[in-house]
Amino acid sequence: MSLVEIFRAVFINIWASKFKVFLTTLGIIVGSVTIILVIGIGKGGQEDVAEQFRNLNATSIFVMPALGKTTQATLGLSDVEAIKEGAPSLSDVTIMVSGKADASYRNTSYSAGVTGATEEFCNIQNLTVKYGAFISHYDNERRKKVAVIGDEIAELFYGDEKSEAVGTDLVIKGRRYEVIGVLERVGDSMQGFSPDEGVIVPYEAAEKYILGRTRPRIMALAKDVDHVASAIEEITEVLNKTYQGKSDAFMIRDAGSRVTAAQDSARTMSVLLIAVATIVLIVGGIGIMNVLFVSVKERTKEIGILKAIGARRKDILLQFLIEAIVISTSGGLIGILLSIFVMPLMQYFDLRVIPSLYGYVMALAFSIATGTFFGYYPASKAATLRPIEALNYE
Amino acid sequence: MKKTKAVTKRLKPYVQRKEGNDSMQDHRLISMSNIDKSYQMGKNELKVLKEVSLEITAGEFVAVLGPSGSGKSTLMNIIGCIDVADCGEYVLAGENIEAKTEDGLAHIRNKEIGFVFQKFNLISKYTAVQNVELPLLFRGIGRKKACEKAKKYLELVGLGDRIHHKPTELSGGQQQRVSIARALVGEPKILLADEPTGNLDSQSGREIMDLFMKLHAEGNTIVLITHDSDVGKQAERIIHVRDGKIYEE
Ligand SMILES: Nc1ncnc2c1ncn2[C@@H]1O[C@H](COP(=O)(O)OP(=O)(O)O)[C@@H](O)[C@H]1O
Ligand SMILES: [Mg+2]
Repeated sequence: MSLVEIFRAVFINIWASKFKVFLTTLGIIVGSVTIILVIGIGKGGQEDVAEQFRNLNATSIFVMPALGKTTQATLGLSDVEAIKEGAPSLSDVTIMVSGKADASYRNTSYSAGVTGATEEFCNIQNLTVKYGAFISHYDNERRKKVAVIGDEIAELFYGDEKSEAVGTDLVIKGRRYEVIGVLERVGDSMQGFSPDEGVIVPYEAAEKYILGRTRPRIMALAKDVDHVASAIEEITEVLNKTYQGKSDAFMIRDAGSRVTAAQDSARTMSVLLIAVATIVLIVGGIGIMNVLFVSVKERTKEIGILKAIGARRKDILLQFLIEAIVISTSGGLIGILLSIFVMPLMQYFDLRVIPSLYGYVMALAFSIATGTFFGYYPASKAATLRPIEALNYE
Repeated sequence: MKKTKAVTKRLKPYVQRKEGNDSMQDHRLISMSNIDKSYQMGKNELKVLKEVSLEITAGEFVAVLGPSGSGKSTLMNIIGCIDVADCGEYVLAGENIEAKTEDGLAHIRNKEIGFVFQKFNLISKYTAVQNVELPLLFRGIGRKKACEKAKKYLELVGLGDRIHHKPTELSGGQQQRVSIARALVGEPKILLADEPTGNLDSQSGREIMDLFMKLHAEGNTIVLITHDSDVGKQAERIIHVRDGKIYEE
């Protein structure tokens, strides 16, 4: 029997039991949607990580209070000086504090992320000043009440006239700060610091007037990527000397390992979702197998008739196998269509899903593979039925 | 569940069949010798055919008569290559059947044999013409050609105006005509009919028998199982099956 004729027969059969076939495809539809979501979420996660660290120098090193420990020791400007002295592998060191505080301009008020920083911060964080200037050493030493604001804050307070911001006064926690600079828009936020929604003030001012000594962090840049490891060693040594026995109150992280950790967690998520998708597809496949077994049983007499008038094994095998493949392919295609509607809904779960051709291709490929794999056994059962027994089956 | 018993084939030496081979072979369409068939029923073995030997020549009309359960259908199924004998020798149109694989048998069923069943055995979701096309499609003939030929044979059996009807939309007699058209469409060497009138009223039964007589007159070789001894009388050769053995008048 030619392939065209087999397909015709398959479609007649599917049409004859369309409701049952639809129920069978459900498993495959769900499996296909899951695969597309898995791949989309995986890509979304990767993109998130990439964006989080886009502005992060690969050579950055952070010293921060260890998680979960009550602060036995607090970092300070003296540590910055000590590290500057004792860590020749570094090119830049700074200290920062961050927290939330109400900032207001005229009648507008906003709970902004406030960062206390020094001149080096601008370079270490890859920030660009759009209007005005960044905080200088001079500002810091004099504990001047000046502020550099992020793009979104500028938008909120000054609307389209962002350049007008320079020279105006903001009120932060009851004190006036003169705006001396507006930052270029960064885009997505980095871990623990969102420049666009933030206000940056001199470190000493922030510590004294706004945030207090709340877990300051030291940020440093190694000379280059090859110096990161030796820089970490040097910093550890300096801290050990200063805080004898208490240096485990701090942890030292470099940007490279933070990126790796974030990527790892994104990958773990993907692996988990792939496991779910696999299970869903296997269940869908068993569904197909089950329906085909029932179908072979119901059509035993028909198979007997076909064999009696000259159908070969191959004719019967292909008819059932192609039926399975057609069912699973349609399931896969319906799944792809459905996923186009489902993906936008995922944003309500705070999940970023990036649709991709790769996802659709994989979903279809896995659907077809499932249909073929689980369809083969019932199909070969049908093909090897003995004609006389099939014919006499009631 | 009923199961056939697999018995090692007892092959006869080839020489035995050789005498008169060259001159006779062309006419001898079917040549069976010492065919055995038994079914295993629990512990007992039920011998249905016992050393049956039979020869049928091209162009014959053979009626097979015998009481129910005597083994007529079993014999017919073996002739039609739907079933295989436990042992014995069967040559159909010059081809040794015992040596065939399942696909080889499928090929023979498709080309050499037209089978008409008591219960019609049409495929209910296909129309008359689709049913009749099937043997040709299995042969690899394209749909257009197959359809033309199927229509021709449906006209031949008097159903030219019912080709798009499904079996459920046809009377018993009409269904049997469709199944005869399906048996004929492949232009087989032999037409086998297992009680083709068994499920029909007497009027339709007579019409179907007339059709077979007409087909025989046109030169078809026909083997037909029947209960009806009136029908038997019309045949030129009558074979009686009793207790798994055959007797000729
Ligand atoms: N598949 C089978 N398993 C066991 N016994 C069978 C089977 N088919 C037929 N028989 C038995 O073989 C005998 C001959 O059957 P059959 O050839 O159908 O007789 P007939 O067609 O002459 O009425 C019967 O006794 C029947 O019960
Ligand atoms: Mg019978």
